[in-house]
Amino acid sequence: MPAVRIALLTIRLVMRTKLALFFTFLFPLVFLFAYAGLIAHGRPEVVAYMFGPVVTLNIMGSGFFGLGMQSVMQRERGSLRRYRLAPIAPRTMLLSNLLANYLLGLPTIGLLLFCALVFFHMPMKIGWLTLLVLVTVGTFAFAGFGLTIASVANTMQEAQVYSNIIWFTLLFLSGVTFPLPMLPRSIQRLAMFFPSTYLVSAFQSVMAQAEPLMSHWPEMLVLVISGFFGLLFAMKLFRWEKEERISTKAKLWSGVFVLPFLVMGLWMNTRANATAVWARTYNVFEKPSDAAPQAEAEKANVIEDFDGPQPSEELLRRWQVSTDSDVSGHSMAEISVLSPGAEGTRHAMRLKGRLAPGPKNPQGFVSARCEVQPPANSTGLRGIEFEARGESRVYQVAFLPPKVAQTRFSGSAALESAAFGSAKPAAAPLPSISFVPGEAWQNVRVPIAWLANPSGHGLADGPWILEISVTGPPGEFTLDLDEIRFY
Amino acid sequence: MTALEENSVLVSVQNLHKQYGNLAAVRGLSFEILQGEVFGLLGPNGAGKTTTIEIIEGLRQPDSGEVRVCGLDPAQESMALKERIGAQLQSTVLPDKMRVHEALQLFAGFYRRSASVQMLLDHFGLEEKRNTFFEKLSGGQKQRLALALALVNDPELVLLDEPTVGLDPQLRRDIYALIEHFREEGRTVLLTTHYIEEAERLCDRVAITDRGQLVALGTPRELIARSGQGTRLELRLAKPVGLDRLKLIEGVIDCHEAAGAYLLRAQPAALTISALIRFLESEENALLDLHIARPSLEDVFVEMTGRRLED
Repeated sequence: MPAVRIALLTIRLVMRTKLALFFTFLFPLVFLFAYAGLIAHGRPEVVAYMFGPVVTLNIMGSGFFGLGMQSVMQRERGSLRRYRLAPIAPRTMLLSNLLANYLLGLPTIGLLLFCALVFFHMPMKIGWLTLLVLVTVGTFAFAGFGLTIASVANTMQEAQVYSNIIWFTLLFLSGVTFPLPMLPRSIQRLAMFFPSTYLVSAFQSVMAQAEPLMSHWPEMLVLVISGFFGLLFAMKLFRWEKEERISTKAKLWSGVFVLPFLVMGLWMNTRANATAVWARTYNVFEKPSDAAPQAEAEKANVIEDFDGPQPSEELLRRWQVSTDSDVSGHSMAEISVLSPGAEGTRHAMRLKGRLAPGPKNPQGFVSARCEVQPPANSTGLRGIEFEARGESRVYQVAFLPPKVAQTRFSGSAALESAAFGSAKPAAAPLPSISFVPGEAWQNVRVPIAWLANPSGHGLADGPWILEISVTGPPGEFTLDLDEIRFY
Repeated sequence: MTALEENSVLVSVQNLHKQYGNLAAVRGLSFEILQGEVFGLLGPNGAGKTTTIEIIEGLRQPDSGEVRVCGLDPAQESMALKERIGAQLQSTVLPDKMRVHEALQLFAGFYRRSASVQMLLDHFGLEEKRNTFFEKLSGGQKQRLALALALVNDPELVLLDEPTVGLDPQLRRDIYALIEHFREEGRTVLLTTHYIEEAERLCDRVAITDRGQLVALGTPRELIARSGQGTRLELRLAKPVGLDRLKLIEGVIDCHEAAGAYLLRAQPAALTISALIRFLESEENALLDLHIARPSLEDVFVEMTGRRLED
């Protein structure tokens, strides 16, 4: 099959041209990320709605500027002349261009789909076959557009003028850039005459609403018919040489190409529910996204992120610092707000001080405590995590019922024992977990199960006291904490 | 190949006319090309050579006249004809990023019968360039590739439109060698050219055309012999002699003096030279220097049209 041979070689040639590679594969991704990021704000349901316009934009681009302009350029350069000497017909050249355009488009659509699924978690509400049918019909229809322009235009400049006029009209007035329900009523009526409207609305209703593609069969039929019209014109008006011109009369005949759109537009304008379908799919913008409840739930699990409006006041109000002064120590510490916090957050907390044991105890002791209210729904919570960094000392984390916390410090048991000797029996050490922070922020996770609770106080019984403490030989210490939350 | 086949007519052009708007590109052109011969269409730019060859290739429709190529009508049986002919355009353009071997393989795949791509690469000196992109080829290499493409279907008839135009003399000679090889292989070749040297060296027969019309047709030798131009003799003598006396020498057509030398046109030259020697002996004069220049197709063209080929 000569058409297949030419198409495969054409694809290979595109792969060797950096600029063509960029516009074929990478440029469409710019639109996906722009639409999904700026318009859909990353909301998966809305990304599904915007996926259709992105794919339509890509199909339009390859039809007008890939296939259409390519055909004119081949003729202008004179590279068609060599093919003309071989026993191949114009239809072979056209079919090869059509096939190359389609085969080059598929991986791009695949790439767009991959990025939408992976980066934006777009819900895939349609089958692969439905998507393939939509893409195939769309590609065929806009290939017809491109081929018609290439047939009608006598020069490259002429083709550029035609392509740009039609491109920009369809780009802004058919839901490719602005969702159709956002457009004024008069523009919506006009949009019903445009093939890109049919493709965009079909994509949106099957992708965002999971409606069957068959509900859009009239639009699909018109797109297929227009593709055949384009191919027919291209065969009829095909020229091997740039010197061959077509008459104004022949150009006017190509106006027949718009007939299917005219019929479809009139039919849609008189059909009541066209705009209703658009409005229904547009509702995805109004619905709270699936991600929102998840974000709410995550927010409820936060114990401290130090990013409130007045972090310093909040800090002093909620956090309490204790030292070893009651066991004759001279350790000192203070808490302050630090900017920026971990992972680009605004603030974090800094616990800074100096351990200075007294004559009766060998090690200094400092702790910082805050009261923690467990979230309303504590089912499934497994522990506490936070971001920490600091000098490499050993710190302890304890999660204490208030009653226990009123009388004891987790890290002070050993000190009490050492300070009072045999005169006072040593209390059993409270359960705690030790960690050693590094210079960089690191995540510390403390499973609640590890902090065996002797009082029988359940997590949901709250409140609890979270204590971060440090004991050790004399010397200065600094510990930064941020994003303390349940997990 | 039988004697009949050797003499059979492969291309027949009868009373061909082609008009572009007000311009008559071809006006009643008629000639025949026999199987196995290298036939040249010689003429200046605008003589209708390319139009004629493109009509023979089936790329253009004649306004009137009859054309048969390999027994086929190019206008009606274009596809069948393309299977049997190989053609090279005045300038061949391929996609920039197409490699040499890819071009040959692609085009070879279009035909029912095809030559070996490797053989073509070897024969046309393109083996080293087999993986080179078309855009990276020099002018000569592009032309060799164009010739190789003309042979991908192992054609009976090879049509070459100005195959050496724009090439330097060395590259031209390379192309001449390739075309001579086509003749050795028994292929029939039609080439258009406006280079005299090319037509004289390569062509068995030449049709000289001007402004779409046939001016002369025959072998280069016949055309030159038929020409009234005569051989040019440039001589220097020990003693001056009157021009009127030189004109009386047998075979001298014309005579004049320039820069101390006598310029004679003579027909037949051999007779004139022996008569000249006898004349000088009788006059006790001596021949100091003698240059003999045979007339060329250029002279034939000038004689027929009153213009030079480069005009």
